[in-house]
Amino acid sequence: MREKLLVCVSALQASVAYWRAGRIARLEHFSHDEQGLGEFRQFLAPYSNVPVYMMVDAVEEDYRFETLPHSFGPDRAQLVQRKLRQHYRNTPYIGGWLQGREGDKRRDDRYLFAALTNPDIPADWLKIINAQELPLGALYLLPMVSAGLLDKLQVKAPNILVAAQHTGGLRLTFFRGRQFRLSRLTRGDGSKSADPARLYSGEISNTRLYLHALRTATLDEHLTVLLLDRNDELEEVGEAITRDNPSLDSVRIGRAELSSRLGIDPQLLGSSPDVVYLQLLGLQTPAGNIAPATATVGYRRYRNRRAIYAACTCIGAAVAVWSGVNGWQAYGVNSQAADIAAQIGTQELQYQQITRQFPPAPTTGDNLKRAVEIAKAVRENARDPVPMMAVVSDALQASPTIVLRELGWKYGLTDIQKGVDSAAAAPAPVQAAPAPGVPPPSRHQSVYLSGEIRPFRGNYRGAIDTINVLAERLRGHPAVVDVHATKMPLNVSPTAALSGNTLDSTRSEASTAEFELIVVFKPRI
Amino acid sequence: MNRQDLEALRVPLIVLAATLLAATALVYFSGAVLDNAKQRLVTRDNDLKQARLRIQNAGEEKEMISRYLTGYQQLARVGFVGDEQRINWLDSLRIANEEARIFGVEYDISAQRPYAYASEFSPGQLLLQESVMHLRFRLLHEEDLPRFFDALASRGGGLYTIDQCTMRRVKTGEAEKTLQFQPNLTAECDLRWLTVKPAPPPEKKG
Repeated sequence: MREKLLVCVSALQASVAYWRAGRIARLEHFSHDEQGLGEFRQFLAPYSNVPVYMMVDAVEEDYRFETLPHSFGPDRAQLVQRKLRQHYRNTPYIGGWLQGREGDKRRDDRYLFAALTNPDIPADWLKIINAQELPLGALYLLPMVSAGLLDKLQVKAPNILVAAQHTGGLRLTFFRGRQFRLSRLTRGDGSKSADPARLYSGEISNTRLYLHALRTATLDEHLTVLLLDRNDELEEVGEAITRDNPSLDSVRIGRAELSSRLGIDPQLLGSSPDVVYLQLLGLQTPAGNIAPATATVGYRRYRNRRAIYAACTCIGAAVAVWSGVNGWQAYGVNSQAADIAAQIGTQELQYQQITRQFPPAPTTGDNLKRAVEIAKAVRENARDPVPMMAVVSDALQASPTIVLRELGWKYGLTDIQKGVDSAAAAPAPVQAAPAPGVPPPSRHQSVYLSGEIRPFRGNYRGAIDTINVLAERLRGHPAVVDVHATKMPLNVSPTAALSGNTLDSTRSEASTAEFELIVVFKPRI
Repeated sequence: MNRQDLEALRVPLIVLAATLLAATALVYFSGAVLDNAKQRLVTRDNDLKQARLRIQNAGEEKEMISRYLTGYQQLARVGFVGDEQRINWLDSLRIANEEARIFGVEYDISAQRPYAYASEFSPGQLLLQESVMHLRFRLLHEEDLPRFFDALASRGGGLYTIDQCTMRRVKTGEAEKTLQFQPNLTAECDLRWLTVKPAPPPEKKG
């Protein structure tokens, strides 16, 4: 996160830092009164969508260590919430954190519970932050932030007591095994005291007694006192502590070292004791947020917005890479295609040089060959009606009573249709090219005969017999594959109605015995 | 996530949707560009193979031209190769009518179209086309019909095939009394006049 607003609130004032690109870019202090709050509002005015991290340095804080039966998941969350509500009824700024597990057989969970017992301390500042619609990322108790000091200052000791002069007094924070255990803020001010060594020694002794009372540490346990001396004025204090108490070690970190280890501008360091913690809060986001979920809802939305925008950026980058790769590949393929086109050009040129020696021809040799072969095949496949008419004529010779009225002939894929006017007939559809290896369907010839029996005189039996004899004669021809009647003088099918008059058929000249036959010839004849 | 949270995320979600749309479009477009390039490469590759094959087969080509050129030119003269020669067909009809001494020929010629049975002949790069001619004429005797077609074929006005023919006996009273000889039959026939020519080369893309 490139930008943050860091706020350290105490009962009397607030120090506000604008964090940008890994360092404090601007630092201001505001007193906790009408004027200070107004200035704070003005300070925040230029910023939007910058998350705010706040820490509170106040006496009104409480820390408790407890062991609870081991649990996890929602059960653990419920257990911790229940405990917090049990201990701290009057403040929303509470938190509980698992510190580890006991070493005994039950292996219970060890928790640290902490609370800011006076919620009014940050209230005015938070109101202004909310009014500016800045997202509150987290709210900490200052000692929880100071845990990061040990790593930054590289102090290695099992029991460390960090002593530092703050705006509100002298703060002593105890760490065991680099884990936060306790912190207390006293009213004393080392810089104004006539005997700072005495003040520090006294408060350290009080703290040890307090730790002993809480059974957090014994009185004879070895303790390393870490003095944060940002104004280089505690040299004698460190020496006095070591001299007066043999079970204490003293490590003093002066301004230069603090500045170099934490990366703070020395001038900035001298301006306020809060700078050390603001810098720590800027460098890392520690565990120990005590702000309720309702206070950080804006931050959650801010984080979701950033996550979505980050996803958009990732998608955009991935797609840009993808498209770039595609474009690069397309460029490569196009280059290859261009090379091949050049080769084709060369080949064409070579071919043209070769073809200059060819006899002049209107088209390619293959086309010449195909055209000649097609013409030959068309002639060979062509049929005319005369041979089939001759077959019909031969068959009719033996049936003088049959008078032919109409004769049709067709050479195609389908049989000739009765009564089809060739002009009105739909043109043959274009045949699709057959599948490879499959011969195209064969065309065949067919003939349509329409005629009548004369003389008839109502003799249906004789007429039908004559027609059947003709059909049988045609059927006997080796080229014929099928002969069928589409019309007979009398329809004797039991499925059709039949009516007439015997007198009509004997006397009327209009009475006729008409018939129609379709003769189908074998293919390739 | 409640309604207020969603409302707060409205703009980012719109940006996300727009990003997804744009990303999809860009992926699709760049993919299409690549596919087109690959397709073009395949086509060019095939063209190169064909060009090389043509050079390899140049000797064979020369032999083929020598062998078939005369026949091809002959077909061009009779009107089978090249554009349709409808005037030649009509001249042939007129002369065949006179030679067969029939009572005139009525004709209808359809628009040219691809030959219905082209697939029987594997035309390759050639375009085999047909124009269907429907003929109506009157005959004194059925033998006038083969005589007419023999006369038409002997004119060499083009290449045709007969698809179908129908002859009907003229009913009494239908004949024209002004004629010296009365037609006894009417006939209708469908002919397919065929032409062939090299297909135009396909338009090259890119």
